Amino acid sequence: MTVNERTRSPIPDSLVPTSGEFVFATAQYESGDWDSAPLVPANLIDSVAKYTSLPVAPTGAIVALASDDLFRFPLVFLTGHLPVRFTDAEGANVRRFADRGGMLFVDDHNHDIDGAFHKTAVEELTRAVGPLSQLPNTHPIYSTFFKFSDGPPNTSHELNGWGDNLVHSHLLAAMRGNRIAVLYSNKDYSSEWGYHPDNKRFLAIDNTKFGVNVIVYALTR
Amino acid sequence: MAAIATLLWRAIRPPVAAGVDVVHGDLPRALVQWTVSPVAEMRVVLDATPDPATRDWLRALGRAGGSVRWSSSRPLGAAAVVAEPVPEPNGVTRVRFASVGGEAVSVADDAGAIDSLPRGGARALELGAVAGAVRASGTTFTATSEVRDSVVLRPVLVLGAAGWESKFTIAALEERGWRVASRVRVAPNVDVTQGPLGSIDTARYAAVIVLDSTAAPSSNEIARYARAGGGVILAGSTARSGAFAALAPGRVGARVAGVAGAVSSADPRTGLGGFPVSSPAANAVVLEARDGVAMIAARRLDAGRVMQLGYDETWRWRMGGGDESAAAHRAWWSRLVAAVAYAPLVPRGSGLTSVDEAPLASLVDAIGPSTPMEGRTSPPRDITRLDWMLFILIAASLLTEWTSRRLRGAR
Repeated sequence: MTVNERTRSPIPDSLVPTSGEFVFATAQYESGDWDSAPLVPANLIDSVAKYTSLPVAPTGAIVALASDDLFRFPLVFLTGHLPVRFTDAEGANVRRFADRGGMLFVDDHNHDIDGAFHKTAVEELTRAVGPLSQLPNTHPIYSTFFKFSDGPPNTSHELNGWGDNLVHSHLLAAMRGNRIAVLYSNKDYSSEWGYHPDNKRFLAIDNTKFGVNVIVYALTR
Repeated sequence: MAAIATLLWRAIRPPVAAGVDVVHGDLPRALVQWTVSPVAEMRVVLDATPDPATRDWLRALGRAGGSVRWSSSRPLGAAAVVAEPVPEPNGVTRVRFASVGGEAVSVADDAGAIDSLPRGGARALELGAVAGAVRASGTTFTATSEVRDSVVLRPVLVLGAAGWESKFTIAALEERGWRVASRVRVAPNVDVTQGPLGSIDTARYAAVIVLDSTAAPSSNEIARYARAGGGVILAGSTARSGAFAALAPGRVGARVAGVAGAVSSADPRTGLGGFPVSSPAANAVVLEARDGVAMIAARRLDAGRVMQLGYDETWRWRMGGGDESAAAHRAWWSRLVAAVAYAPLVPRGSGLTSVDEAPLASLVDAIGPSTPMEGRTSPPRDITRLDWMLFILIAASLLTEWTSRRLRGAR
């Protein structure tokens, strides 16, 4: 099945969120490799279920950016390594999604500010929703559930010097009013969180806690 | 000498009620005359509703002992206009006007025309700004109103579990200008809060929105708040929980699904699922129904108001309803809150001299209803003319006397 074919496929009713249930949705876009982090949704769903009392769907959904189904999922995760070029329909939908109050969480799977994903994704997002700017490390997203007093938690990829050999001190964001419409990360959480949830038991500190904050922020602010 | 004596007597005589006067057009002059020289019965034929000063004058003459009756040479339009603040944060003014009798009404403020009703009737408008007084004018009336009060709007408290409905309810109200305090349950004993949180009373909150059963432990406090004058909205199936059942305008029915795809239609709320209001209480008012099933109902509870809102996923309308849906969703939520909000009025205190909201009704209140005129309908006895005649008679007598003396050679 090609991406185009999948784009035209409606979301099955079984994956449409029922009343009050949170469904983790991953964005599918025509260009690039949208499905580069297939283990992230399950891992974050596991963390949300573990730490909160939120009703959460046990499986995530994949939603095409160009589809009207996008508006069924007010929080959508988008990642990839490859250049991103939104189609006209995708760009328009992302703008509408942000204007209506949705939140797009974008992570650069390359962790490389000179990389193709970063350059093209920032261009496309700027065109769709406006410029991205640094999100202050005192923003409520860092304290809405777990406390991250230094801002976004670092990833092992940053600390190991992979990618651009930088530790990024801030996330970027495009705002609508005082709410985040697009949250953009260069930190490669896609790699950091890309493991089977059962393997959390081998970690001294659960590194998906910031993912819980992103979801709780989206659901409460 | 007799004429002089008559004039003197007329000047110093005590008021004596007597006579009947009917005035067609020159009412101000007649009022002066009736004030100087009271009559027993004053009859007025109007061709338009008088202004407040004239009306008050007639009322005063009536209270001073005379009998004031009135009729009209043509049907006078019964009209009313009122401008009042809407308890919403954006300073919206609601203008309501109505007229009966089919007379055309035009409504304007100091900045220009606002609206018109070519054949009368009733209409309500909400205006972002009003310049000065609002006037509803027809051929036979001019009704005038002015916003007399400001409203005090305290924050809205939103209680619920973390979820899209909580998020978008808070967002809609904040984007509309409401100050929002919220307590959103994320995990047992873990809430995400914002804004001023404290005891739930009318000194702190204009309204409380309860989105789900997570607020059940506060249901008794919220019930006291409602009875004390607060506004409460119970959304979804909340009315099943705790003390909320005793507050709700009705019972919570079985959940109904929305019509697929209808959130982007002209009637977007048909696309929303929810819990109908079943068995509404005797004093409940159904505000919105779908296929004969009540989806929103409200009722008074002592000094407060409680609304039961069947919809529990209004966020789907905002996200999926089209480009205007976000604005429509926030306006709708703001309107719901405004309908129940505790919003005390504060008089503006400026001189509101131009207010005359229902001129015909005020005329009837002042001097009674119209009574048919019997007898003469001629202009009133012109007392000044009599005075002039006496004066001319005296002057002519003096001139005759003077001429006679000159002709007789006398000095």
